[in-house]
Amino acid sequence: MRRRVPAGGRPPRARARRWGGAAAALAFGAFVVLGTLGSGCKRAAAPPLRASEKLPGGATSVSFEPRPLFFLPAANLGSNDRPDFYAGKALAGQPWIKAPSSTDARDGLGPLYNARTCLACHDKGGRAEVQSKDGPLLRGTLVRLSLPGFDPRLGVVPEPTYGSQLQGQSIALAHQLRAVPGVAGALPAKIPPEATPNVEWLEQRYTYPDGREVALRRPRISIENLAYGELAPNTRVGLRHAPPLHGLGLLELVDQHDIDRLADPEDRDGDGISGRVNQVWDPVTRTTRPGRFGLKANQPNLRVQVAAAFHGDIGITSSVFPELPCTPAQAECAKAPHGAKAGDPEIPDDLLSLVVNFSRSIGVPRRRKPDHPLVRRGRERFYESGCASCHAPRFVTGSDARFPHLSAQEIWPYSDLLLHDMGEALADGRTDYLASGAEWRTAPLWGVGLARAIHRDAGLLHDGRARTVEEAILWHDGEARSSRERFTSLPLEERKALLAFVRSL
Amino acid sequence: MGVVVGAALVAFGCSDDSDGSDDGGDPNDLDLLTQVLETNADLAVAMYSDSIDTAEDLETALEALVANPSQGTLDAARRAWLIAEEPYGYTEVYRFRQSPIDDRDYLGPEEEGRPELDLNAWPLAEALIDYVVSGTDFGDDQLLGVEGHGTGVADPIGQNTIINSIDIPIDAALLANTTVTPDERDVVAGYHAIEFLLWGQDLNENGSADTLDDRDSTPGNRPWTDFATDVNCTSGTEAADTVICERRGQFVLVAVQKLISDLTEVRDAWEPGATYREAFTNPEDLDGAKRRLLEILTGMGTLAEGELAGERMQIALSANSQEDEHSCFSDNTHRDILTNGEGIRLLYIGDYLGYDSDLDGTIDATGRAVQGYGIDDYLQDLGLGDLADETLAAFAVTQEAYEAIDALARAGTPVDNQIADAFSEDARPMRETIVALNAEAQRFVQIAEALLVGTLDDVIQDDASACDTTDPTSEC
Repeated sequence: MRRRVPAGGRPPRARARRWGGAAAALAFGAFVVLGTLGSGCKRAAAPPLRASEKLPGGATSVSFEPRPLFFLPAANLGSNDRPDFYAGKALAGQPWIKAPSSTDARDGLGPLYNARTCLACHDKGGRAEVQSKDGPLLRGTLVRLSLPGFDPRLGVVPEPTYGSQLQGQSIALAHQLRAVPGVAGALPAKIPPEATPNVEWLEQRYTYPDGREVALRRPRISIENLAYGELAPNTRVGLRHAPPLHGLGLLELVDQHDIDRLADPEDRDGDGISGRVNQVWDPVTRTTRPGRFGLKANQPNLRVQVAAAFHGDIGITSSVFPELPCTPAQAECAKAPHGAKAGDPEIPDDLLSLVVNFSRSIGVPRRRKPDHPLVRRGRERFYESGCASCHAPRFVTGSDARFPHLSAQEIWPYSDLLLHDMGEALADGRTDYLASGAEWRTAPLWGVGLARAIHRDAGLLHDGRARTVEEAILWHDGEARSSRERFTSLPLEERKALLAFVRSL
Repeated sequence: MGVVVGAALVAFGCSDDSDGSDDGGDPNDLDLLTQVLETNADLAVAMYSDSIDTAEDLETALEALVANPSQGTLDAARRAWLIAEEPYGYTEVYRFRQSPIDDRDYLGPEEEGRPELDLNAWPLAEALIDYVVSGTDFGDDQLLGVEGHGTGVADPIGQNTIINSIDIPIDAALLANTTVTPDERDVVAGYHAIEFLLWGQDLNENGSADTLDDRDSTPGNRPWTDFATDVNCTSGTEAADTVICERRGQFVLVAVQKLISDLTEVRDAWEPGATYREAFTNPEDLDGAKRRLLEILTGMGTLAEGELAGERMQIALSANSQEDEHSCFSDNTHRDILTNGEGIRLLYIGDYLGYDSDLDGTIDATGRAVQGYGIDDYLQDLGLGDLADETLAAFAVTQEAYEAIDALARAGTPVDNQIADAFSEDARPMRETIVALNAEAQRFVQIAEALLVGTLDDVIQDDASACDTTDPTSEC
């Protein structure tokens, strides 16, 4: 694939230079204080513990009692704004239904879709389950498709028949009653679901230098029951696990300059870590802008992110994405009843804003046991191992008069929001705007320790393959290889401490 | 969950010390707190039992409708449905706290099936169940090629629905299997499925489902002949095969039987001796008891501030969609709001006297009345009488506001008309109820602060052997 690397991008060059032996050796030896940014210092001893670290979302931080939830309103959200927060939550959490229905603000599902609510996959605002058994993929994950190439408006070249996302659900009665014996064949299925994506888990073992073994798994995706013909040759397939929703409004208010300062596309400091800003299309302003949201930083802001999810995942049109999720090969899909008058979006702008503001104002859970000796020791190891190079700990949000509760907050997301090459094992070959098939946006770590309290089968990493923080670390490669190696070289007790620290975030 | 209370705990999470036991009784009195929990469980048994009784009355009325379809038996079934909603509306305050209505695996870390999804979920997938009017919800150009919609006029016969699909048996397995798909599913069971079969769509004066056309003040008007199992059988205004009407009868009976069975499962889990009840009312220690009180307050706060004020009322005002209301087919939403609000208050005072069993707007005594030890009693005994009274005052404000919604609806302006213009005088009781529910929820925060502060921060034990998924130092 050929793509032009614009200013700020990284010219292709030998991998060895980025995380080769020289860089790793240097890293092992010296804890060099490189940055003076608030986000912390690369590969340095941990800075003194600040009181503010206990509240990763600043004044938005919420309790995890009596039970952790990732869709609570920011603690400091004003009481006048709370009814609208819950109105947005209603549109994110209550089912969208087949049109036409009496509840005409809620109809227009599909006709092809992945889920009927946002919160089906973003379970309680967090990660839903990843199927741990081989078989059909259910909620919590979906399959993206594309052809090699670059499209400046879409980021990817969609598969011509199925588009850029496989939709395994449809409004057809035959599909809705699929679990009822005898229905298959008894009902016509004019708009069949696109296909059944299956996952097979391939087990492998990782052995630490000290001999301890850990079981790892990686997914192999197969696609069955293709209802609209074969996939185009050369189709790239990627599995995606829905990320959690908390703190997004805070991340949106981080000044782009603060992110740009962390970027090092040419790896000028020679630490083997680049860090790149994606450049993506904003269909609202019709301009190319820095990407910040999504697993590959392929969305410019929350409004476009939410509208894209409504469109691709639920089949709800908006002013941002006015077309039904039907490709030219899916004529019956395009003819199905629409959830609004002709020409109107199924979710009007004011209701879309409610959902965007809901996702914007979700509070970040407070840390658990930040003062525990094990956790504090793990914090030292976290910084020393270089984790903070990409999992940038701290920002201060900018100000927006519309969102005083999110403004000027000292936050601890542990992400630089940049793209990093994570190595071949995590790569799926799907490029997205400037992101290569091996590059992923640094996942924020706040709340990561509660993922399995939200759902016991929640996964980590872009495809949910990691069942624990430890597994996720062991998959780190590419630019993160030297940090991972420093982690695996630690004595068992120190590794445990580091893991406890990450789980406390 | 944790909506209100979460804010309280955060606010105090960083304070160095807090001693709430200065005046009056001892907040660490496990016996008093256990009385609160016992009362809470007793109220659940009473309210769910009354819900089952009224659901059984509904079943009787539906059997009469199916056996002898007429305007009279249809009216009687509708009345029985409205009565059945009364006690169930109270019980919704038991949601949002991992109690049996939301979680079959009460003690486990994860929700294991939610009876609530089959009982009272919304919005209903009406277009999958029975005929619907296309109205002007979508333009004629989109109707081309849609089976049964070639003219843009409703074609109740041709629509691809459960009722029309005569090769699909309507039996318990149909609902059971449709509601167990693990990833996603339609809402086709519960109170609102029966409501839709009894009333049909609530259309505008022009017969469309469209939001912006003239709203009339009557509910849905399904003809009784939709249940006639002879030559009179209809689908709305059109004649239909007898089998279609028979299938509607089968559907309502299967649905009400499932409703009774689901309610019974939930009630039984609250009965003395049941696993959940025993775990709930016998906390292992004072911290455990406080956690359960926090569950109660969380359910109350989440229903008040989140579910009722936000997810049901504010969205209805925001969406300006006529039927964006809980009981949209029967226009009974004013009762949903009132009984939900009352349920919160009843849990606070620990008393349940009865429900409106004749739809005259006043409470009728139930044989299951409970006058127990409420949260207000507990506050009084701890010397927190001011807080108890302030909370009662907050309830009084909310009560006045939702009673105004009820009165307006009874006077001929149902909720779907009250919300037509969010800033109108008719919408004022809705607006005031939302504000009052939020103020009420703030009192629950204060109660949590007064009773629980400084304790729950430490409930996660340092014992790393226990598998606590929220504890970073525990390896699960």
